[in-house]
Amino acid sequence: MSAASVTVFPRRTPPTILVVEHDARLRCLVSDELRFKGYKVLEAGSAGEALTVLGAVGIDLLFLDLDLPGEGGGLEVARQARSSASPIRVILSSRTRTGEEVPDPFLLKPYHIPEVVDAIARSLNWPELPEA
Amino acid sequence: MSTTSTHLSAKADAPPLTILVVEDEVLIRFVIADYLRECGYRVHEAVNAEEAIAILESPEVAVDIVFSDVEMPGSMDGFALARWVRAHKSGIQVILTSGVERSADIAATLCEAGPLLKKPYPSQDVVDRIRQLAAKAR
Repeated sequence: MSAASVTVFPRRTPPTILVVEHDARLRCLVSDELRFKGYKVLEAGSAGEALTVLGAVGIDLLFLDLDLPGEGGGLEVARQARSSASPIRVILSSRTRTGEEVPDPFLLKPYHIPEVVDAIARSLNWPELPEA
Repeated sequence: MSTTSTHLSAKADAPPLTILVVEDEVLIRFVIADYLRECGYRVHEAVNAEEAIAILESPEVAVDIVFSDVEMPGSMDGFALARWVRAHKSGIQVILTSGVERSADIAATLCEAGPLLKKPYPSQDVVDRIRQLAAKAR
């Protein structure tokens, strides 16, 4: 069968994203925009909350602030996500670190929210909803 | 955009009410927030009272109703958050919930939607309270 004859149907279930960010206002704005784009979004405000969600809910992508307060912080959450039985895509952000330290896609803070949306759309290959 | 919404009416063409869910148990918060979204509300989430205030003070976010747990870590519990809302965001209504027996009188002075919603609550009870508030504001 030639490649040209293959029809790719759009995925019916929207991807689930876990947004982990301890700045409540930023988490709220990012999550709200991602929901507007059609994603199912879960929110966590700390590494502990993120680990609880990762242990209980299947997610497709983790958008993670590396600068989380507390022991282990964002790096521990990223490590747990990478060791998950089901593959989870990871996009990291930080105000203090550089992307050279980590293997995953990275956004330096302060970022513009459309940058986050674009990075997630590319990672998940999930088309944006048409503009109303 | 104002942080204090005045559109609690349930007109068909009105934008959906925006609910701020304040709950420190992440999976409980996830379940009720998800249910409210399924019911058509726009929902923001806060882990504690301090986060809730940060969101309520954000100029980009408009909230109609705060649905908050009473028992939360940090310097403010749900009662203190309700008092803050009454003092600083008087157009926003508050619904409180608690897993332990507390004075219904205290809650009644802070909430427009009757006494404390006792945990564990059916998710539909939260929607019923929200609808009561919307009907009163009509």
